[in-house]
Amino acid sequence: MVEAVQVQLKKGVLELCVLALLSRADSYAYEIASHLAEGIDMGEGTIYPLMRRMQDDGLVETYLVESPAGPSRKYYRLTQAGKASFITQKAAWSAFTKAVNDILGEAQ
Amino acid sequence: MTRDAFIARLRAGLRGLPPATVADLVADYDAHFVEAAAAGRGETEVATALGDPDRLARELRAEAGLKRWEEQRNPSAAASAVFAVLGLGAIDLLVLLPILMGVLGTLFGCFVAVVAIFVCGGVVFAAGPFSGFPGGPVAAVLAGVGLMAGGASAGALLTLASIALVNGLVWYGRLHYRLLKPAIDGQA
Repeated sequence: MVEAVQVQLKKGVLELCVLALLSRADSYAYEIASHLAEGIDMGEGTIYPLMRRMQDDGLVETYLVESPAGPSRKYYRLTQAGKASFITQKAAWSAFTKAVNDILGEAQ
Repeated sequence: MTRDAFIARLRAGLRGLPPATVADLVADYDAHFVEAAAAGRGETEVATALGDPDRLARELRAEAGLKRWEEQRNPSAAASAVFAVLGLGAIDLLVLLPILMGVLGTLFGCFVAVVAIFVCGGVVFAAGPFSGFPGGPVAAVLAGVGLMAGGASAGALLTLASIALVNGLVWYGRLHYRLLKPAIDGQA
């Protein structure tokens, strides 16, 4: 039960988390994946389809940077639409969590 | 599994997609191995974390087919969406197959009938006035127009029904993703 709830919760916030990470600094998929794997225990392979979809939706764009590790890294940065989407989603998230917390607080 | 084996199986599973798409997808997972190696992780560990490459390829292919349908609503994209969902090879989809075939066959039959009605209307409209149509030329023209309009509206309804059917199938297919979840349907 707890696990099923967690899966649903993660599903909803994954895109918001990626937007948040990229709003702080441009990054590449492996770095984003390791942050998310650490923070919210997400399967690391799932980052690629997500980044692809966000790119198709015009939220992020890519550029290549030389890497010391080997071939050039594909960096992601937020587009204007991505920044706008982050602000909207963040506000929605704050309002939602506040409402839920209030209810949870009452229940105690 | 080694990096080479993972990439080879992924590439083999993606065969049939546009080469640029395959190159893009493979490059992503290849880079993942490079970065992981730089972080000191073993190839086998990384491959396990990424999941079964055959399964991953099937879901990526399915997603490509479904995306095409969402971008361009035409019969060939619909066919590719249907095959994409069937390509997932889930057991309950195989059970669904005979029913689906029945429904698709019925829809196809209806389309043929609609086209026939439309053509009949055209013939009555064009030839009726000159061949002693019962009720006279005006009745022939009206009957022809009526048949054609009926055929066209029935065709439009059938098209809407087909689109709804394929959309339902796309939704159902996405429920079967295991590896691409939860990344794909984040917009729900």
